[in-house]
Amino acid sequence: MTDESSALGSLEVHLGRLLLAGVVSSAICLAAGLAIWLTFGQTIYSRDLLGLGLLLLMATPILRVVVSVVEYVRMRDWFFVVTTLAVLIVLGVTVVYALRQ
Amino acid sequence: MSVALVLAVMAAGGVAGCLGALLGIGGGVFLVPFLNVVLGLPFKMAAAISLMTVVATSSVVSAGTAGRSLINLRLGMLLEIASTVGGLAAGITVDRLSNSTLSLMFAFVTAAIAVLMISRLERRNVLPPGVDPGWLGGRFHEQESGGEVVYQIKRLPVGLGAALVAGSVSGALGIGGGILKVPVLNAWCGVPMRAAAATSALMIGVTAVSSVPIQYARGYVDPPMAAAAVLGVLAGSRAGFWFGGRARAKWLKMVMAAVLISVSVLYLLRALR
Repeated sequence: MTDESSALGSLEVHLGRLLLAGVVSSAICLAAGLAIWLTFGQTIYSRDLLGLGLLLLMATPILRVVVSVVEYVRMRDWFFVVTTLAVLIVLGVTVVYALRQ
Repeated sequence: MSVALVLAVMAAGGVAGCLGALLGIGGGVFLVPFLNVVLGLPFKMAAAISLMTVVATSSVVSAGTAGRSLINLRLGMLLEIASTVGGLAAGITVDRLSNSTLSLMFAFVTAAIAVLMISRLERRNVLPPGVDPGWLGGRFHEQESGGEVVYQIKRLPVGLGAALVAGSVSGALGIGGGILKVPVLNAWCGVPMRAAAATSALMIGVTAVSSVPIQYARGYVDPPMAAAAVLGVLAGSRAGFWFGGRARAKWLKMVMAAVLISVSVLYLLRALR
């Protein structure tokens, strides 16, 4: 039990770092993109930086689910491997549906 | 797209993020009506931009609470199956909903949130320290009491139902939906309030991501405005946490509940028009 809860505890810490890295890098891109947009108007740089920032923002929670799958496989916690894969499949349907729009 | 409009969106994000952090309910419910009613953006655009800020809030809040075992990763993942299915369904169908249907939904949800915000009943749900939390429950160290808090999960189907509803509402209306499921997890499913709030904060990011890419692809997310809203909310919620440590204002809850009731009436009138 303690082994298991400490494994979940360290997973929580890892996921926290991942989320922070994702949101910080996204915020940097968005801030740079917006600053360029505000000073020079719509340029290729502002468009790409804003797009990249928004993609990073949306990708971060998806990446969190991917890392969780890998960690549950390492813990051999098959029920939660299946649970996490189910969430990933729903997100996959969202992404595919979005790309076909 | 004028510079003034983008700066107004950023300011609105700042205020919404600050209020959300102070009230512990996320800022979407304030941001959507502001973008829609005050700045005159179409409802679906306002909702999509707000959903982007929900993703940012979720990541930041979860990064801040991670490491205290407050986030129940297993319960969260199980509930995320339901909430993402709800979000995906809403993301696909929202295009077919008329503005008056969405206004009616928004009127109903803001009224429900106002009521939940002032009538917040809190159950401790704490079991004796020796008890096994079971495969879904959890334990964490509570700073105030200095003790170990152990809880078990009850009535999982109720929690899954609440997550499904919260996910659909989130995808359709652009709010996080945390305030709709946290009371259910606390009152019926045996989760202590802080664990329910931390788990919900993690869930709303993935839930928003089950619908927001579809809105993005449909062109409802204007990049400069979304960037301004996200940066505003990030700054505002930081400020909110900073103020929150100083003053726990009960009157603020009452004032904001009154604001939400007015928003609800406004949307009801729009829906009936």
